[in-house]
Amino acid sequence: MERMRSVMLWMIVAVMATTQMQAEDIFERKCVPCHQALPTSLQEMFKEYLLVYSSEKFVKIGIKHYLKNPSRSISLMSDLFIDTYGIKQKTDLSEEELDQAVDIYWDKFKVFDKLK
Amino acid sequence: MLRSEKKSLYRFFALYVSLITIAMVLLAFYYYESQRQLMLSDKRATLAQYAYVQTKRLKVLHHFFPERREYPRDPSFKSAIYDIQYNKIFSLLESEDVSFDEEITLKDGYIHYLKGLDTFYLGTRYLIIEIKDDGLWLQKIWHDLLLYGSIAFVLFLLLGIYLAKLFLKPMRDSIMLLDRFIKDTTHELNTPLSAILANIEMMDTEVMVEKNRKKLERITIAAKTVSILYKDLTYLTLEQEKKNEDEVLDIKAIIKDRVEYFDVLARSKQVSFKLSLGDATILMDRRKFTRIIDNLISNAIKYNKRKGEIRIVLEKHRLSISDTGIGIAEEKIPFMFDRYLRFNRSEGGFGVGLSIVKKILDEYGIRIEVTSKESEGTRMVLIWSE
Repeated sequence: MERMRSVMLWMIVAVMATTQMQAEDIFERKCVPCHQALPTSLQEMFKEYLLVYSSEKFVKIGIKHYLKNPSRSISLMSDLFIDTYGIKQKTDLSEEELDQAVDIYWDKFKVFDKLK
Repeated sequence: MLRSEKKSLYRFFALYVSLITIAMVLLAFYYYESQRQLMLSDKRATLAQYAYVQTKRLKVLHHFFPERREYPRDPSFKSAIYDIQYNKIFSLLESEDVSFDEEITLKDGYIHYLKGLDTFYLGTRYLIIEIKDDGLWLQKIWHDLLLYGSIAFVLFLLLGIYLAKLFLKPMRDSIMLLDRFIKDTTHELNTPLSAILANIEMMDTEVMVEKNRKKLERITIAAKTVSILYKDLTYLTLEQEKKNEDEVLDIKAIIKDRVEYFDVLARSKQVSFKLSLGDATILMDRRKFTRIIDNLISNAIKYNKRKGEIRIVLEKHRLSISDTGIGIAEEKIPFMFDRYLRFNRSEGGFGVGLSIVKKILDEYGIRIEVTSKESEGTRMVLIWSE
């Protein structure tokens, strides 16, 4: 009985860890590779979003809107950057995946709890 | 100063002082508020400067974040940053009770200055600058309010006394005039009234024809009624200020004497006396006790019905006088001792009798109990202690 219980526990932990890893994967797989090739880091871009949108809610809305409708007119990057690297492709992620990726992005680079 | 004058004066002062107090409290409040605003506008310039400096520091921190994570501190002030949805990003504030509605606020001894940023460095939409309020302005306000407030209050009070005297003068003059008139009139009444009563008593009614005897009886009644009124008025105007000459009074004898005096009056209305008099004494001024008895008996006759009855019962510390007259309504009993108040205007009189009675009873601590039923009669019971 005791053994059964520990097996079950292990299974739950394993499933949760897998889900988490998959989510991490979305950000790592779908965002990081392309951005690595750019001179402006994801951190710098995050700060550009903060400068304009301020709060978590509005930053996330801003990023998602741009990923779904990328255009020069609403991009936060400089003209020089856009002229050199162009506008990104429209995202092929599902709504759920997009949410997950943006949430990870926010958690990774947010200012909250980092100042001292 | 007369009682009515004192009453008017107290009322005037109560009204005047409460109005002055309200006006001064309002003025003090506006003064406080204006001084507070003045102090805040004084601080505003300095705080705006602090906010400008802190914004520049935030700009630098934003640029170097996350390599640099130390929030910029300044010994002159404390600060905090909030995002566009009022979420706290970082705070060094002593008082976390922050208001986003006003540019500058004073709460719990801390002054908060709110600056809205156009470029949201590190996501900062609102920058709060906090300094401690030294409270000197408040001390100055209290000092000013207490000093000038009490000077103004005293001046207003003096003005109030002057105004009260000014307003009360006409009333005082007319009361004095009336008082003097009553005093003079009553004094002038004494001689003719004594002459009438003395001569009536000297008349030999035995030799009179029946018709004349009845006429004389009517004259006696009228003269005695005037005499009671005269005694009440002289008591009110002249005698009540006299010093009491208290002595042990034989109540039984006095009542017998007064009943005899009022007998003619009672007979004219065919009212009969039923006496049940035990022995009783009281330590009191004779004039005053007589005024009580005279008034109670004369009222019992005056307001009795024809062929009515007056029952006087005297016990050791208790005297009860009851009539079979018109009575008075229960709700009017508390007002029956008021001066010049008369419930029945069909009978003569000024309405001063019972007010005199009450005054004397109060002076000697004698309790009076009144029970009355309309058209059945009234009972007045006097109860005194040893």
